[in-house]
Amino acid sequence: MLLYAIFAGLVFGLYFTLVGLGLNLVFGVMRIVNLAHGDFLMLGAFAAFWLFTLFDLHPLVSAVIVLVGFVLIGLPLYWLIVPRLLEARDSEMLSIILFFGLSQMIEAITTIAFGTSERSIPGRVLGRGPVHIFDQSLPRAWVFGAAVSAVAVLLVYLYLYRTRLGMLTRAVMVSREEALATGINVHRVAALAFGIGLALAGIAGVFAPFMLGSITPAMGVEINIAAFAVIVIGTLGQPLGTVLGGMIYGVSLMLMQTYLSSWANLLPNLLLIAVLLIRPTGLLGRRVRHA
Amino acid sequence: MVRWIWLLMLVVLPLAGARAETAPDEIKIGHLHAGSGPYAAISMPVYMGLKLWVDRTNAAGGAMVKPFGKRIKLKLISYDDQSNTATAATLYNQLITQDKVDLLIADSGSVLTSVAVPIAREHKMFLFNPTGTGATFFSKDNPYIALMADPVSTIWPKYISDFLTTEGVKQGIKKVAILYATNEFTGTQANAVRGFLKAANAGIEIVYDQGVPTNTSNYTVLINNIAAAKPDAVIHLGYVGNDIAFLRNLQDSGEAFRFLFCIYPGLETEEVEKNVGAAGLANVFTYATAIDVDYKPTTGMTLAQFAEAWKHDYPDTPVHFGFNALAGYMTGLVLEGTLATTASLDQLDLHNAVFGLSGKLNTLDGPFVLDETGGQIGEITPLGQLLPEGKDGLKMRIVFPAAVATGPAVLGKP
Repeated sequence: MLLYAIFAGLVFGLYFTLVGLGLNLVFGVMRIVNLAHGDFLMLGAFAAFWLFTLFDLHPLVSAVIVLVGFVLIGLPLYWLIVPRLLEARDSEMLSIILFFGLSQMIEAITTIAFGTSERSIPGRVLGRGPVHIFDQSLPRAWVFGAAVSAVAVLLVYLYLYRTRLGMLTRAVMVSREEALATGINVHRVAALAFGIGLALAGIAGVFAPFMLGSITPAMGVEINIAAFAVIVIGTLGQPLGTVLGGMIYGVSLMLMQTYLSSWANLLPNLLLIAVLLIRPTGLLGRRVRHA
Repeated sequence: MVRWIWLLMLVVLPLAGARAETAPDEIKIGHLHAGSGPYAAISMPVYMGLKLWVDRTNAAGGAMVKPFGKRIKLKLISYDDQSNTATAATLYNQLITQDKVDLLIADSGSVLTSVAVPIAREHKMFLFNPTGTGATFFSKDNPYIALMADPVSTIWPKYISDFLTTEGVKQGIKKVAILYATNEFTGTQANAVRGFLKAANAGIEIVYDQGVPTNTSNYTVLINNIAAAKPDAVIHLGYVGNDIAFLRNLQDSGEAFRFLFCIYPGLETEEVEKNVGAAGLANVFTYATAIDVDYKPTTGMTLAQFAEAWKHDYPDTPVHFGFNALAGYMTGLVLEGTLATTASLDQLDLHNAVFGLSGKLNTLDGPFVLDETGGQIGEITPLGQLLPEGKDGLKMRIVFPAAVATGPAVLGKP
């Protein structure tokens, strides 16, 4: 049971890396807290559900559509909200309030549009039966979710460290003021990062019906709590630290479910408190955040 | 003779005048529903079932209210608590103290009812409780509550245990696993099952017994752990979201158990089937509710008539038609009976009227019978099993007790 819990936790945690990745990217670049992150994930999930229901589209195809669609939604949304927000004296705090409002709006509109019932996509879409890896059998959906997450992490890495825009993005992450002073078009860089952040949430949402059983308009809150735990553990503002945060979150959750299942929902809060008390900068600390 | 007529007029006319003066323009019914959040799926059907009853009663001129001897229109005041207990507590107080409702109905499910029980008691308001089955809500010293449409959790799972300890044992069921969500509704049922199994002393061993938070959405590791305990029977007790996640994860895991019980495949069949698929529900044991048992009501619509009314009133609703819709309508029928028989709108008189209906009311949800604490004991649901039918269909077979069984249970191979 211990071995299975650890193994399953690593795979499940990889999916939660994807859940937190976009949130961390947005925070890293803009220093704003997107409390509507979980709701954008929910919208991605509903997009996948309707694309499957209406057009019988495979989730992997839906993921590509969601990627493009959410980037396109993210860009104007950025220009509508973020520049004014960043001009405020306490933009981090104001962003919490603003995105909380946005979160409530998204949930309310989705509830009105689609109702409150649970929805999901049949598991057979991703193939039948479990996958056997290292003598352990895992749900096929987990393998898909983890694989997509790994690809997303790789692409984010390549974007940040192998492209010119990525280099500019890292420059903004280090110091927005210095980036401005050196002539970087900060808003252009940040808008793209915002769009990518939403797209990552949307892609995570595409696999939510498989990883989380079902989807509802109200799922965003729970997702936000888990995503915050993941990124705080892995270091706020450091997108690639999210991988570590996701793994720790996944393994801890599975160990809790195995040995102390009644208390498993305390886990995100416990991890958050523990990291904030012991190492407030996250496990990867300032070395990476200020690189 | 003339003197007698005058005397009669002197006595009767003031009384009639008094009646006309004191009869309210409307009877205010206070209610909460969860328009969003984790309990919306079970709350919205109850709300819409109740609203259907209110609308139709008003269309017929209102409800007969005995103390005033006439029909009075109903006004349903239903706030959205968003599945939040803190919000619900505020809104229950608002209904009582600000809106001054005549009748108070709790939201659906034990979690959102749990905050209503002490508030209603404190304000001495009688609480019409549609589906909050938690055992702690009911006590001899609290006359301000009665359960309308579901059996109280302490007796609800009795047929599961009775089946396992009789038919199950005969077919080789020896080890049972219990996995439940840690809330009042399913926690109480888990306690009850545990107690029934032990009391039966039929040689059944509980080899796995774990609770999980109600917001659990992934059961893969838990299923793996259950399988490691090698149970013959698995009893999963959770809300609809829990059941969907559990059954999907079970399918994905490739594990199978000889006997598997879940609550919501029977209560919200349409919704669970849409999410899990017919294959994932094949041979699952569940509660066979009034949706599957065609009771012969002496009050209100039959099941078929109600289903037709639902389609007519809510042609495009995304809310699924299932047992909870019946529960809302059923609650309305109890209100109707209460108003027609109560001595006054005083809350203790309402209590007396509701308890007076016990054993006399037969609705599309079966016989309405209350125990002395207000717990519902009449509408106990038989044990059913969903069996494959046709290519992608399912059919509910009632398997226990024998008196209402429509066929034998099908257990998996050892």
